[in-house]
Amino acid sequence: MSYGSTPVLVDVGLTVPAGAGVCVTGENGIGKSTLLRCVSSLQRPDSGTIRVFGDEPGDSPAFWRAVATTVEPPTWYLGLTTREHAELVCRAHGQDPSAAGIDEALERFGLAGHADAIPPSLSSGQKQRLTLALVLLRPSSLLILDEPEQRLDPDGRAMVAAMLADYLSTGGSLLLASHDDKFAVASGAEITSMEQLAARPATEPAAFPTAADGDQ
Amino acid sequence: MTEVVALRPVRRWIRRAQASHRDRGDMLGTVYTALFSIAVLAVMAKDALTAVFSPLVPDLSGAGALASAAACAGLLFLALRRLGPVTVSRPATYFLLTAPVSRRKLLGPSLRAAAFGAALAGGAAAFGILGNAVADGSALLLAVGALSGVLLTLLASAAQARPRLASLTDTVARVAIAGGLAALVAETTGWTPPAFAGWPTASVLVPLTGALTVLVTAGFLLGVRDLARTPSAEVMESARTTGTLADSVYGMEPSFLSEMLERRYWARRRLRSARLPRRLPPLTGQDLLLAKRRPARLMWIAATTALPLLLISAPRWVLVIALLAGTVIAARTTTATVKTDAGNPVLLRTLGLNSRQVLLQRFWVPSALGVVWATVALALLQLAGALPPGHWWPLGVALGPIGAAAAVRAARTGFVRNDLIPIDTPMGSVPTGPVLYAFAGLDLLLLALPTVLRLVQGDPATASSIVLQVAVAVIGVQAYLTWTSDPGRVELSPR
Repeated sequence: MSYGSTPVLVDVGLTVPAGAGVCVTGENGIGKSTLLRCVSSLQRPDSGTIRVFGDEPGDSPAFWRAVATTVEPPTWYLGLTTREHAELVCRAHGQDPSAAGIDEALERFGLAGHADAIPPSLSSGQKQRLTLALVLLRPSSLLILDEPEQRLDPDGRAMVAAMLADYLSTGGSLLLASHDDKFAVASGAEITSMEQLAARPATEPAAFPTAADGDQ
Repeated sequence: MTEVVALRPVRRWIRRAQASHRDRGDMLGTVYTALFSIAVLAVMAKDALTAVFSPLVPDLSGAGALASAAACAGLLFLALRRLGPVTVSRPATYFLLTAPVSRRKLLGPSLRAAAFGAALAGGAAAFGILGNAVADGSALLLAVGALSGVLLTLLASAAQARPRLASLTDTVARVAIAGGLAALVAETTGWTPPAFAGWPTASVLVPLTGALTVLVTAGFLLGVRDLARTPSAEVMESARTTGTLADSVYGMEPSFLSEMLERRYWARRRLRSARLPRRLPPLTGQDLLLAKRRPARLMWIAATTALPLLLISAPRWVLVIALLAGTVIAARTTTATVKTDAGNPVLLRTLGLNSRQVLLQRFWVPSALGVVWATVALALLQLAGALPPGHWWPLGVALGPIGAAAAVRAARTGFVRNDLIPIDTPMGSVPTGPVLYAFAGLDLLLLALPTVLRLVQGDPATASSIVLQVAVAVIGVQAYLTWTSDPGRVELSPR
């Protein structure tokens, strides 16, 4: 994968076993986000193979029902409050909004006081927490998160890490990029650096939810 | 404390620096293209302009002329309030609004420009009203119109610095528009307005114009002195509005402006979270909730069902265009959600719905609004005896979904494509992207052709013609919804 003449991902191999978490670390610009975008089908690699749950990732409803991600910056529906966004996501996934724990989720993410606010009026940290709350509220089998600890205070980081550990314990798989090793360990993800990924090929893709094997 | 810095040398320096980066030939070319385009368009639209400003059969009574004047004044005032009228350029909000320069000198040019523009608009409105009036009015009334434009600018500028005055004057302007249009509609449908003594004579008009000139001059001097009172926040907001308007015009991308106004509207609202209706599909429930949150817009849309009545004496095709446009505008009330999803499908991916589900769920509310608008408008026209014989109102059931499909298709177009090859004409090159953008959605209005032809030709509405139109609408809209969506795809933008 390259941007113009600058190669970003070369000979990268990564496998995330089902029900496990992997945290990719590395300095800025090394290609963590690009890797996550490729796995989420939001960017097409120049060459290589990516398999998610055994299939090529793509713009299909089945894929997006299984995969929840915060790799892209969200847009918001004008005129809909924070709480209504959460309710809409639950309803679209066939969840009963009263049983889905929307208010508890907003409370945990420190957004209970902003339930009636429209998301564009929130601060960047609050928007980040709302995005995380939405992807954690809805059912999914694989979470792909790009630096979820960003713009969170220390308490917020601990809480999100605990929620991710919970997610893993209920059988979900997790792929995240992070600069915070402590956060990654607390979330239960195995830490691997981009340099290590470049050195090893992806193992048997069929048995695992995510396998990326790309070269320039 | 820093003393006040003279503004003029700073401005001159900025202008000179900007001019040095600009090619003189470019500027001349732009001026040539603009002037030539205006001249050609004026020649092309000469007949239409003559019909608007001085029709062969003028039909405005004295009361009607007053009602038109009130509506025009209200519209002009609200337009001035939207633009500022006191504003600066966007870079100036950053570099000059925060600098120790005289506020009066900084903001003065924008007030003068707004007053000049409003004077032209006021004069044009007076010219149009005079041309349409049954009786001949004095040419001095043009001056009264222009002076009233300046007066409205000064009032809008005073309101910009005073929130209470602003809400009062905005309400008065809205009432003037609604009252003026209501009086015009009432008059076309048979109400006899109170007799009018005739146009004011020169002996009244000359002193009136003189007094108005004195008032405007004094008001302008006071207004300029008052400029320093305009709060920075207000100036910055109007700078953003005029800047976005310029972007919209320059980039030929109307969505810049409409989206900014929409965002600003919602940012000002104090909302309380509601539960989405349980029995409806989630996105239909969301659209319904958003429509219910705009009661003022719904009321205006309801009121506009009477506006086609004003066009009873106009050529039939004008009435047809008004009917179709009204239906599309009513349907557009909630299509901002479609635009959001088409522009960036992040939320659709989080929702995990396929494009067909999304399109169908988002189609109901625009369709219902279109049906109600078209049915009521047709029923009113039929009651007023403006349509050929037969029952026309059931056709609203067919026109509503067609208007909704056009509105949804326009919303799905996303942004103007500026990468298409322009077409060269003697007026300069015509950009293909904006033209395609302008007509996106309107092509679906072809589905209303059976009704349009009957209306234009003056044929009666028969049961078979209604059945034919409903069948064409159902098949056409169904085909659009099915062919442009895919149960195996999330993205809503057309491919």
